[in-house]
Amino acid sequence: MPQFFSNKRLILLLLGVILLVALISFSLRDRDNVSLPEQIIKDAVGAGQSVFSGPAHFVTGVFDNVDSLLNTYEENKYLKSRLEEFATVQAEVTDLRSENAELKELVGKEEDLRDYNPIQATVIARNPDQWEEKIVINKGETSGVKPNMAVMTARGLIGKVTLVTKLSSTVELISTQNPNYRVSAMVLGGDKAVFGLIEGYDADRRELLLKRIDAEIELKEGQKVVSSGLGGIFPKGIVIGEITEVAIDEFGLTKLAYIKPAADFTLLNHVVIADRLTPEVDGEDNGETGDGES
Amino acid sequence: MIRYLIPLIGLVLFFLEPVFGLFSPLQMNGDYYYIVPRFLIMFLIFVSVYYDTKRAMYYGLFFGLLYDVFFIDIIGLYSFLYPAVCVIAGYTVKSIHRNLFITTVLTLVLTALFEFVLFQFFSLIGLASMPVKAFLETRLLPTMIANSLFLFILGWAFRSVIVARFIERQNSPGLSGYNGQ
Repeated sequence: MPQFFSNKRLILLLLGVILLVALISFSLRDRDNVSLPEQIIKDAVGAGQSVFSGPAHFVTGVFDNVDSLLNTYEENKYLKSRLEEFATVQAEVTDLRSENAELKELVGKEEDLRDYNPIQATVIARNPDQWEEKIVINKGETSGVKPNMAVMTARGLIGKVTLVTKLSSTVELISTQNPNYRVSAMVLGGDKAVFGLIEGYDADRRELLLKRIDAEIELKEGQKVVSSGLGGIFPKGIVIGEITEVAIDEFGLTKLAYIKPAADFTLLNHVVIADRLTPEVDGEDNGETGDGES
Repeated sequence: MIRYLIPLIGLVLFFLEPVFGLFSPLQMNGDYYYIVPRFLIMFLIFVSVYYDTKRAMYYGLFFGLLYDVFFIDIIGLYSFLYPAVCVIAGYTVKSIHRNLFITTVLTLVLTALFEFVLFQFFSLIGLASMPVKAFLETRLLPTMIANSLFLFILGWAFRSVIVARFIERQNSPGLSGYNGQ
């Protein structure tokens, strides 16, 4: 095929490649903002996508139901064994809650990092090429979603909002390889809470890395990790997972813990976006300002 | 009516891909397998082979742009690769005999190539850190198995729709100047 590389075609090809490289580098540099045409395309595609994802969720729902029917006997046995324990825990929680409320009233503290306004959303698409862990949900700016808000399922934290358009938003899952992705977290279960940062994801073990923990603090496997609310945007107390292994980090100065995520990242369907009631500030949750390691 | 059928099928496949993406990754015996639906590009390769390479390129550009903006926020990646794959398909098929089996094999080879180029790109910009072996085992293999199943089931339907459109265009007066055979 000699005529394929005729002069005109060659020039067109070269121009195309130059344009391509320019476009890619332009859009790689500035991925946090969406221009107006992009917003329009995103919303239009999102609307079409919702039409298709509705029936799909229905079908997966049916399969889920059948699946849980098959497991009913086993689950029932397990749940019965936990039931007695549950009653005591419930009583204790009620007691502690009322005590907490009383104490808060006593000191006149009204705002709490824990309080948030839940925004219910449905997952309409998952990035099909799956190189980046991203999902698209059907709530956007008009529902009050803002960038960097925490996104979770009933079982725990799954990610945060990265891009918002009028009617849809993109969520980057916590299992991303993005190095700028941080969540400030704390470990529960010790004498006092231990603070650290969720930074990075071990794809082989499928576990999160909790870094920058003080080396003198003893951590045990099985301790629960929740968001600390100190990162500025996430509310406090969203379950992230539990510790499976504690190690010393690469420089030997701080500790590093492997955390098994509580939420399941496959087959996501309904998610909740946490709109924190306490005013938001810049911090580690917002990937830009958290770089200052002093 | 058949005139609009090809873009319509393209649009449906475009919207179906992320829906099937929701099922992935699959967990089997503790290992995770990623299945990437590539229905649209396979359909476009069929269009390129049986109908018109240039038309397939335009569709590829359009859907690639939508894909770039909606899913990956890197404009120019899919909108370059989709038409490029269509061009390669169109030029390859000029020199070989065109039957359904060969087209299917060609489509699968090109899809695998497409997947590999994307892997190289995402490794280059640092969004993926995966050894080549792991990529082949946990991503490429399951992806190709799933996509070839899809193609074996629906390949003949694609061909009959596209060929019907091709015949329709050849029969319509004034537009028969271009002969894709």
